[in-house]
Amino acid sequence: MKHTTNQARLSIYQAASPVTLRLISCVVLLVACAVVPLTVVHSQSAPPAQSPHIVIMKQVRFQPAEITVKPGDVVEWKNEDIFAHTVTANDGSFDSGLIQPGASWQMTVKNAATIGYHCRPHPNMTAQLVVAGPAGQAQNPEAHSQGEHQATLKWSLPNRPEELHPILVNFTAALLPLAFFSDVLGRIFRRAALHAAGAWMTVYAAVITPLTAAAGWWWKRSVGPELPPNLILVHQWLGTTAVVLFIVLAVWRWRFYKRGVAPSAGYLAFALLVVIALVYQGSLGGAMVFGQ
Amino acid sequence: MQTANQIDISQARLALRKSSNPQVKEFANQMISDHTNLEKSVSDLAKKLGVKEEDSDTSKQLKQQAADETKKLRSLSGKAFDQEYASHEVAYHQAVLDAASKTLIPNAKNAELKSALEGAAPLLQGHLQHAQQLQQALGK
Repeated sequence: MKHTTNQARLSIYQAASPVTLRLISCVVLLVACAVVPLTVVHSQSAPPAQSPHIVIMKQVRFQPAEITVKPGDVVEWKNEDIFAHTVTANDGSFDSGLIQPGASWQMTVKNAATIGYHCRPHPNMTAQLVVAGPAGQAQNPEAHSQGEHQATLKWSLPNRPEELHPILVNFTAALLPLAFFSDVLGRIFRRAALHAAGAWMTVYAAVITPLTAAAGWWWKRSVGPELPPNLILVHQWLGTTAVVLFIVLAVWRWRFYKRGVAPSAGYLAFALLVVIALVYQGSLGGAMVFGQ
Repeated sequence: MQTANQIDISQARLALRKSSNPQVKEFANQMISDHTNLEKSVSDLAKKLGVKEEDSDTSKQLKQQAADETKKLRSLSGKAFDQEYASHEVAYHQAVLDAASKTLIPNAKNAELKSALEGAAPLLQGHLQHAQQLQQALGK
């Protein structure tokens, strides 16, 4: 009985398979799809040469008295007065020291905030620096690196790790559990098509997950010290382990597929463990992004 | 106006010699630097306009008061000096601002001179506020 079902499966698999070459070309295509945006990204991520915003200090005044910039922008204060002035934040977050007549001072703006500032020697010289970021990002630990990002509906090619990692994670998170359930259902209903789907999705997961992990490491590198240290430590190594496990699973799964048999109970148990680890991994990622 | 500059500079020099408080010294250095620059710009303008500053009632009065104050400051030392210097700087800048707005500016006939005097007001205002902060920091 078992023998015949296996044979039936075999014939279905064979019908679907002058496969090895096609498999290779599919994998190449998948990798290309994922890698091309990543490289495009790299060439785009160089910051555009940008002229600084200018505030003139003249006649014991800051002109303009209010300037609106974005995080990452450079602001330059030029002293065109005949007196030395300072640019001193009211909250103490920055202080230029004395800027002599004819000299200037530059600062790269970081977080979104509205900061009043004054001149220490001339406290009546007051002005305001408005750093406009996406709503609610002033306290966001990623605010430093996602500086120029604006919350708009305008679509642009995702090119920053904090965009790429969440996008890629969707594939990782969906493919492996679906592959697992597909195989379980295949066993229950004895359907070869479900097993084929399981095998293919496992392979897709193994191809895309290294990219997910790479984007994750990239993200960590750009915001590193601001992340909760214990969460990121577990997340980064569990993620990296997951990459290896996904590849092991895919190779294992593909051997069953090539032999035209259903995956063993041992394989399914192992896959279930990886799925559970993946759920935990996702909850850690969510905790870091959304703060529990 | 030039008289006022010179008085403030000489008193700041006295403060630099007598005080050991870094805030007072910083303030005094600023007064020397700012009033030297102001003096230069006023004298450049006077040269350009071909006017000479003459002793007026206002300047005579300022000089007399300054001489008295200098005598008083010389007799003090330590914290008492710092406090007296700070409170004098508050009163002095207030007085010069008053003189500028009530006497000098309304009486200035030359438009350029008038606008230069008006331009000095925010500087004096800044010094006044800075002196007030210093006074508060020194606890008087």
